[in-house]
Amino acid sequence: MASLQDIRSRIDSVKNTQQITRAMKMVSAAKLKKAQDRITNMRTYAQKLLSIIADIAVSHRVEHPLLSVSVDTKKTLLIVLTSDRGLCGGFNANINRFAYDYYLNNKDKYDVLDIIFIGKKAADFFKSRQVQAKRVSTNMAKEISYSYASELASEIKEDFATGAYDEVQIVYNEFKSAIQQNVVCEKLLPIDLEKSEFEQSEMSFAPDLIFEPAPEEMIESLLDKHFAMQVFRCMSESVAAEHGARMTAMENSTKNAKEMIDNLTITYNKLRQASITTELTEITSGAEALKG
Amino acid sequence: MLNLTLVTPTKKILNEVEVEEVTIPAFKGQLEILPGHSPLMTTLTTGIVTYKLDGEVKKASVSWGYLEVINDKVIVLAETAETAEELDAERIQIAYDKALSMLDQEALTVGEIEKLQRKLQRAENRKDLIN
Repeated sequence: MASLQDIRSRIDSVKNTQQITRAMKMVSAAKLKKAQDRITNMRTYAQKLLSIIADIAVSHRVEHPLLSVSVDTKKTLLIVLTSDRGLCGGFNANINRFAYDYYLNNKDKYDVLDIIFIGKKAADFFKSRQVQAKRVSTNMAKEISYSYASELASEIKEDFATGAYDEVQIVYNEFKSAIQQNVVCEKLLPIDLEKSEFEQSEMSFAPDLIFEPAPEEMIESLLDKHFAMQVFRCMSESVAAEHGARMTAMENSTKNAKEMIDNLTITYNKLRQASITTELTEITSGAEALKG
Repeated sequence: MLNLTLVTPTKKILNEVEVEEVTIPAFKGQLEILPGHSPLMTTLTTGIVTYKLDGEVKKASVSWGYLEVINDKVIVLAETAETAEELDAERIQIAYDKALSMLDQEALTVGEIEKLQRKLQRAENRKDLIN
């Protein structure tokens, strides 16, 4: 049986933990807000970019290596996006499980299946399972920036253009809301223009568009930009999802800590009462004995 | 009136705001856009975008990007963009000096030189905007 002292020290330690989790929740909430703002800012750019591409696509036949679909996919590159830090619920575990299943299911199907890990958690997970990474980059959450995304995108594009891969997939956590993240696997390359959400009504059709420089040159750089934007979008979503997941996880543990403190307090009080009762009984029975 | 949108991947400076006129550093030189401009698509160079909002002239520095004009809708997709209030003169000077001293070094590849020159240009451009 635990002594009063023991229980008191346990309550104190749980209280400390609760303080930490509460602080972490606050921090995540603030970071989530920032990440959400970034997504909304980026969305306008991405939409306008797509509408420009659509404007060109209606008036010109667009041909570009990033658009070419090969009939038979043999060489795939998989990008796995996780976080560098833990304590965010199932955020990383879900991604890792999905990516590992994907790897096991497809490793025999394709001639080449390379993986790029972004975030420490996936890299560690796959390392312990003896899966070789083509490239590992960490520190994304701290330094997520458009320039970082576009650098990565141009490297991947280079590989794709030389024919090292004929498909590029990305696995990441899509940011639905602060409490909901979905693991999604998206095809980044080749770009499927038909699938992109061209809003027919918004399209301002202009057949006599003047191009400076020539449309072929422009569409090339526009598509590059579009691809870089997609990579950036996935990263931003993943970061927002991470903060969301951490916030929820910390909220839950704060709640659990509170519950634990309540239970321990009840035990403590019961024990205290019991000891007082015992003491009283001892005193009265002692007094009785003296009387006798 | 023109409907102007000026955005970068990380920032929204203007989103569908009605302006009277826009001047843009286009691929082939400064381009003044007034209502009724014919449909145009072009690339931007480093420079200063000027627009007139309620009779007041406003400026923003941009580096490389795209411009589309269709039906009096002007979309500027810039790689980076800043208004004068956002810029910090000291930091720009540091970036400028750094790029300049790097350029003085020997043994640079053509690509590196180009990169540094662009950096220099951006810093110069931002300095212009502040002054």
